[in-house]
Amino acid sequence: MTLLEEKPKIGTKYIAALRARFGNSILDESWQAPDQVTVTVPLNSLPDVVAYLYYEQGGWLATVAANDERPLNGQFAIYYVLSVEGAQKDSAPAENAYVIVHAQIPPHQPEFPSVTPKVPAAIWYEREVRDMFGIHPVGMPDERRLVLPDDWPDGLYPLRKDTMDYRYRPEPVVEDENYEFINVEGEGIVQVPLGPLHMTSDEPGHFRLYVDGEHIVDADYRLFYVHRGMEKLAESRMNYDQVTFLADRICGICGYAHNVAYSTSIERALGIDVPLRAQFIRTILLEVERLHSHLLNLGLACHFVGFDTGFMHFFRVREKAMKMAEMLTGSRKTYGVNLIGGVRRDILKEQRTLILQVLGELKTEVADLVNMLLETPNIVQRTQNIGRLEPQVARDFSPVGPTLRGSGFARDIRVIHPYCAYDQVPWHVVSKEGCDVLARTVIRAEEFFESVSVIERCLDAMPDGPVLTEGFKYKPYKYALGFVEAPRGEDIHWSMLGDNQKIYRWKCRASSYNNWPSLRYMLRGNTISDAPLIVASIDPCYSCTERVTVLDVRKKKATIIPYKEMERYCIERKDSPLKNC
Amino acid sequence: MLKLLREVLRTGEATIPYPFQPVEVMPGFRGKPHHDPEQCVACGACAIACPPNALTMTTDFDQGFQTWNLFMGRCIYCGRCEEVCPTGAITLSPDFELSVMNKQDLFEQADYKLAACHRCGKYFAPVKEIEYARSILRQSGLPETLKTNACTLLDFCPECKRKNDVGKMVNLYQEKNDVTR
Amino acid sequence: MLRDSVTSLAVAEHSKYAIHEDPSAGKLKGALLKDIHRSVYVYRVDCGGCNGCEIEIFAALTPLFDVERFGIKVVSSPRHADILVYTGSMTRSMRVPALRAYHAAPDPKICVAYGACGCSGGIFHDLYCVWGGADKFIPIDVYIPGCPPTPAATIYGFAIGLGLLGQKLKATHHVQGEDERAAPAHSQIPYLLRVQIERESRRMAGYLYGKQIAERFLTIMEQNPNQVKEGMQAYLDKQADPRLAEIMNRLTAISDGFKGAA
Repeated sequence: MTLLEEKPKIGTKYIAALRARFGNSILDESWQAPDQVTVTVPLNSLPDVVAYLYYEQGGWLATVAANDERPLNGQFAIYYVLSVEGAQKDSAPAENAYVIVHAQIPPHQPEFPSVTPKVPAAIWYEREVRDMFGIHPVGMPDERRLVLPDDWPDGLYPLRKDTMDYRYRPEPVVEDENYEFINVEGEGIVQVPLGPLHMTSDEPGHFRLYVDGEHIVDADYRLFYVHRGMEKLAESRMNYDQVTFLADRICGICGYAHNVAYSTSIERALGIDVPLRAQFIRTILLEVERLHSHLLNLGLACHFVGFDTGFMHFFRVREKAMKMAEMLTGSRKTYGVNLIGGVRRDILKEQRTLILQVLGELKTEVADLVNMLLETPNIVQRTQNIGRLEPQVARDFSPVGPTLRGSGFARDIRVIHPYCAYDQVPWHVVSKEGCDVLARTVIRAEEFFESVSVIERCLDAMPDGPVLTEGFKYKPYKYALGFVEAPRGEDIHWSMLGDNQKIYRWKCRASSYNNWPSLRYMLRGNTISDAPLIVASIDPCYSCTERVTVLDVRKKKATIIPYKEMERYCIERKDSPLKNC
Repeated sequence: MLKLLREVLRTGEATIPYPFQPVEVMPGFRGKPHHDPEQCVACGACAIACPPNALTMTTDFDQGFQTWNLFMGRCIYCGRCEEVCPTGAITLSPDFELSVMNKQDLFEQADYKLAACHRCGKYFAPVKEIEYARSILRQSGLPETLKTNACTLLDFCPECKRKNDVGKMVNLYQEKNDVTR
Repeated sequence: MLRDSVTSLAVAEHSKYAIHEDPSAGKLKGALLKDIHRSVYVYRVDCGGCNGCEIEIFAALTPLFDVERFGIKVVSSPRHADILVYTGSMTRSMRVPALRAYHAAPDPKICVAYGACGCSGGIFHDLYCVWGGADKFIPIDVYIPGCPPTPAATIYGFAIGLGLLGQKLKATHHVQGEDERAAPAHSQIPYLLRVQIERESRRMAGYLYGKQIAERFLTIMEQNPNQVKEGMQAYLDKQADPRLAEIMNRLTAISDGFKGAA
């Protein structure tokens, strides 16, 4: 991240293409980094520009950030962030750049033309913008709340700068949950709600499956039970260094990935040079996180096909990865080792020796376990052609991580937009064509060994020098993106600095956020006994399911099945909980 | 199946005997923040750095007390307090056995006296902080006159120091321009 | 400024939703503990955690820690539970499900607040969409702090709750004594040099190892002020760590080039 002038810009051809296509509609372009450019367009051409970049220039929707910039320039702003990777028919070598489409929204008419009808991937983002800012996406097909709880008052928009203090807790407006789930009509359709509290240690989320007999026709879900208001906290109580510790707590499994994404966004915005040694240490820790996260998911895969011995063994071996994390960071989970400008812990000889030893043990033990898992006849039977994510659906919804790579796209942010030290050591991306649960499981197993070798190579090639930069200049209202390939896919953070050492706006998007909308398509056409397996296969910070309501449309009868029962049925596949319905 | 049995036999007993025997944590583990109240100068650096506000400072300007509070139930064990502490009064110990039945036992407190300004008599900073600054000045290797001057200034509140400076400036200005004439 | 404005906020009063325990509950809980000691059913209520706590509870169940040794078993319905474990900072959306779980569990029951969020709301304690900890609504018997608590800390917490172990932590209140002074470290070394050494050491190795390395360096300097180089070399030879040598050599260079306060 040296000065902009020194490095050639990447992605100028996309800007040229935009100008050729939309001419005067491209009002402005500004570069935040050599491969990050923001173009400003008038509000009415927003959907066309985003759709053009998405489908004709090989764009993937990374995130959408709205911002209340009224104190700065009197307008609301919306930013559509696309990772543009070149059209496939294009013979020129691929250039990967982040193109951010920005439009201003007048405060007296807070609405914008919805992009969702053209690019389905935008659906959750636009629902969130409406919840948090009260800016209405015109033409948006889904009018329901996404983020805010049911008992939150209408017309109170938490992220507007002038509405409320971050500590304001309004009186609950309703005493029960009144979220309207979609209504699927048809002969013999049954509704199965799952959640929000459940057995396997999962975060809360409520699912509703629509089934005909044993077959899933459709699914709907209500998540965001855990919405706490972190983005508001980051721009009010905390300063920019404290937010790194908050970013750790976005997710208990891939928190460090968020932490790095946040830190790099600030460092990029300010043009801070992070020492190379710190970049290597961050890479090592990111991969340690991937190790324990993938072991967790592989363990769960065993559990859901009824191979509980395997599950226990994966968790036993996983403790070695946790020990490694504890050795490197002082904590098993929330690493807390990043500051803006570098890291808080070096790797000395003592740690290096121990890690190399543990990695050696892990490699052989996990190889044995994975062999055992894949040789169990049950696993292939249960996972092949189950929970298919068709490549076209994947293309429309921009899922990320192993979920996408299981459908034939070799798309990994570590290669597409290299960060930290991923371009300093050799390794390769794992992708599979299977489109099913098996493909996603095998990808995780193979990625585990890639991660081990990345750590070993980083330890070998670790450069000398400091681990922290200090004394940088702090510039208000600069903004940039940070991105990390977390175990579940890319985490994208868009940060704008404010004054007084604070963040003006922080938009963090976790990887599962992009995976959820396509889950509905993976569930369709499968049997309900496979539902927990499919949900676990996108590794949504754990299978976010728990208690299932089954609604039989033919018999006009709703049955509630405890999640445990669903899980048991998934494992044993006999005595259907629906047989008496 | 045979492979599985072999793996099970090879592994043997994996369970650690905790709590019947103590469990070893890795060196550098971030456990309970240990506060040495004697070494603390109540400067408040930890309270400013603490991300979850587990560490807070309250000041009673009437009674002349500054209180350091730690709420272990809110602490996230990040170690920022240890990182910023200028006197080494806080270190994260390897102790993780912190569960309690009574919430009150999660609190730690330490009261420190405030010093009164030698000019206006108002309380303005902890006595220990001023004394610590004094001993550092002695250690600083500055010329003797500078040291003495700086040490004297420590006894005045910022307000009075500012007034003192303004007074000096006014004198200087008057001397130069002789406005009284 | 913010601090003043909060007093004027219409902050919803959580206490009207809180559950008040029957005075006889304590006695009943004692009886419960006597009855269940080797067969304890636990139900977890995630009230908006980050998943860190959930997975550490999970880790406590797996072979290395194996809480089932003590008869502790996680069950799938609060109706079966003797112990309810509340994790997460109690988000607005989870208030109703959390209370529902409490009422579903048969009396007497023991409620545990797990993790920094469960104990107090943790880093999220004062946010608009949380209520700040399980004890805002639920009568809590055991607090297990940690972010997240390690599996061993989890075992310890359950042992406290079940009355198998005694509590270690006690509230403390220190009052500044007469002539209480904080002593500056390494008084024989010029203050500015010490600060430079400590800063460089932190920049090179982070706050923790940096502190240890600087401490070692300054100790060697103090012990044999005339033979710093030799003392350092002997130490480095013993450690045989090239990275440590790199850092120590940088510190030596700083101390060699130090000109004093002027």
